[in-house]
Amino acid sequence: MEQNSEDRILNDLFRRKLESAEVIPSPSTGSRLMRRVAMREFLRFNPSRLNIWYAGAVVVAGTVLSLILTSDPPAEIINSEPEAVEIKTDVPVIRAEDKIINTGKSENESIKQGKSDAAQGRSPGTGENNSGSAITQQTFPESDGAAKVNIPAAGAMDEAADRGDRKLKLFSGNGSYLNASVTEGCAPLKVSFRCLAAAYDSCLWKFGDGGYSASGYPVWLFDMEGEYNISLLVYSSGIQHQSSVVIKVHPKPEARFEVICENNVTVDDEILFRNYSEGAQKFSWDFGDGSGSGMFEPRHKYGRDGHYNVRLIAISEYGCTDSMVVENAFTGSSCFIEFPNAFIPNPNGPSGGYYSPKSDEVSHIFHPVFSGVSDYQLRIFTRRGVMIFESNDINYGWDGYYKGQLCDPGVYVWKVRGNFINSDSFTRMGDVTLLKN
Amino acid sequence: MMSDQQIIEGCARHERKAQQMLYDRYSRFLLGVCLRYASDKAEAEDILQDSFIKIFFNIDEFTGTGSFTGWLRKVAVNTAITYYHKNLKFRYHLEIEEYVSVETGVASFEDDFFTSDELFKVLNELPAGYRMVFNLYAVEGYHHKEIATMLGIDINTSKSQYSRARAVLREKLGKLRKLKNQYTAGRDQK
Repeated sequence: MEQNSEDRILNDLFRRKLESAEVIPSPSTGSRLMRRVAMREFLRFNPSRLNIWYAGAVVVAGTVLSLILTSDPPAEIINSEPEAVEIKTDVPVIRAEDKIINTGKSENESIKQGKSDAAQGRSPGTGENNSGSAITQQTFPESDGAAKVNIPAAGAMDEAADRGDRKLKLFSGNGSYLNASVTEGCAPLKVSFRCLAAAYDSCLWKFGDGGYSASGYPVWLFDMEGEYNISLLVYSSGIQHQSSVVIKVHPKPEARFEVICENNVTVDDEILFRNYSEGAQKFSWDFGDGSGSGMFEPRHKYGRDGHYNVRLIAISEYGCTDSMVVENAFTGSSCFIEFPNAFIPNPNGPSGGYYSPKSDEVSHIFHPVFSGVSDYQLRIFTRRGVMIFESNDINYGWDGYYKGQLCDPGVYVWKVRGNFINSDSFTRMGDVTLLKN
Repeated sequence: MMSDQQIIEGCARHERKAQQMLYDRYSRFLLGVCLRYASDKAEAEDILQDSFIKIFFNIDEFTGTGSFTGWLRKVAVNTAITYYHKNLKFRYHLEIEEYVSVETGVASFEDDFFTSDELFKVLNELPAGYRMVFNLYAVEGYHHKEIATMLGIDINTSKSQYSRARAVLREKLGKLRKLKNQYTAGRDQK
């Protein structure tokens, strides 16, 4: 009881004295607190004063504005090019061009153009397409006689050159402003396009896969196989001109294979490579040891130890390739020794112990499978520790007999010591069960 | 002079002036609360700052029923508990054995013998765990069950820490009184 009242006194003392005791904080506390509060207020969303949300909005707006300003100029530059080119419609223009060609002044230019186009566009389909589609609306820049004619198009020029009948071809008049770096290739195919028109207000590319661009030099990546019809619309002084080209994207094959290797592969074993490639017609194997093969599923024998990286290159009918590498596909070692854990001696009498893989098919003799063993000592003991067999010749195994008597069925212990030809030594112990027929 | 009500409304609108007024009016009182839970004044001022930030940004939660000082004190106590948990692992823990046997010779403490400064000092010297429990139980008037949930400890831990805290306080106050008596006696002799 006394304890309790004493407690109360103590508690009361502290409570009375400290419950509403006031302590004057150091002046820096107040100012630091106000700074922290100001910081927190800044981070808090509050429409009535400057805070991080406003600051962020200002930064975003500034960035957007500067982006807009920097992205615009190219178009303006194109538009502001001083070459004011008059554009006329169909018929007279073709005549004009014909004239130009006849003067021979621009012939070199044209042939050059034709050659470069021929180099770029190999597929005849492309050319045909061009000649078919390009007649629709043509606007040729009628230049001041200097005839910087960018017009004659790929296939047409090519064929025309072949037949020597340029004039005729030119009348079918495909003026294409469209230039593609390649028209055929393997997926993913990157194509650089170029608008050849000397001056224009704007151009619009449609890439046939849903994509479009307004740039004069777009680069487009076709990552799916297929034929894409690329069209280019050039607008100049209200007149539009359409050019088109077909890009063929061939599928990419897939190289896939598996190394079939059983346990304890030695350098003398043939290893089978299982081929799971798709979409390929030709194969090129590199076994990593300097040799290769062009077979679909080759077999290969490595003559030596080592770590080999195997590479398969799969090639499709269009020449598209894919490759796959399996690192350390073969790490076979030429040196090993393994023992069976049971054998059945010949009940008809001792066989002497010498064996060969063929003669011991039914395992009448206890002997190891091995490779690369240079010297060797095998000892076999009973469970009581009596040594009943010793061999220093790896080709000499135990036939299950001791002093002319067939041993009892049961477990025997063996111990082997020796060296491999690569001068590694080995010591193994184990047991073997002697079974009876 | 603004009334409490005006200050609260001003703080709810995040007005700088109202916040400053609130701080000026209540910081001394709240620092008294914080100092009970801290081991020194610097720590108490840290807790005080955190408490005021909580108060400024959560003043909407004060419903207006009940006393404002009670609410402020509660915020400060909760902040002190959070602070205690946060810094738990940096604390110096005293061995229990040191205080197993305490003489109970000091029977009563006269009210005015010790100043509140001395009492603060004694409290600050307590191990943090003891101090939390003692404050919450003896001064704030919580039950052991509530303290156990607040501090996340066992109810029996709360009880035993309280009794050990009391024992330590009694011992310290006893020593202090002896010192003071000697001092006054020496002065009288002179």
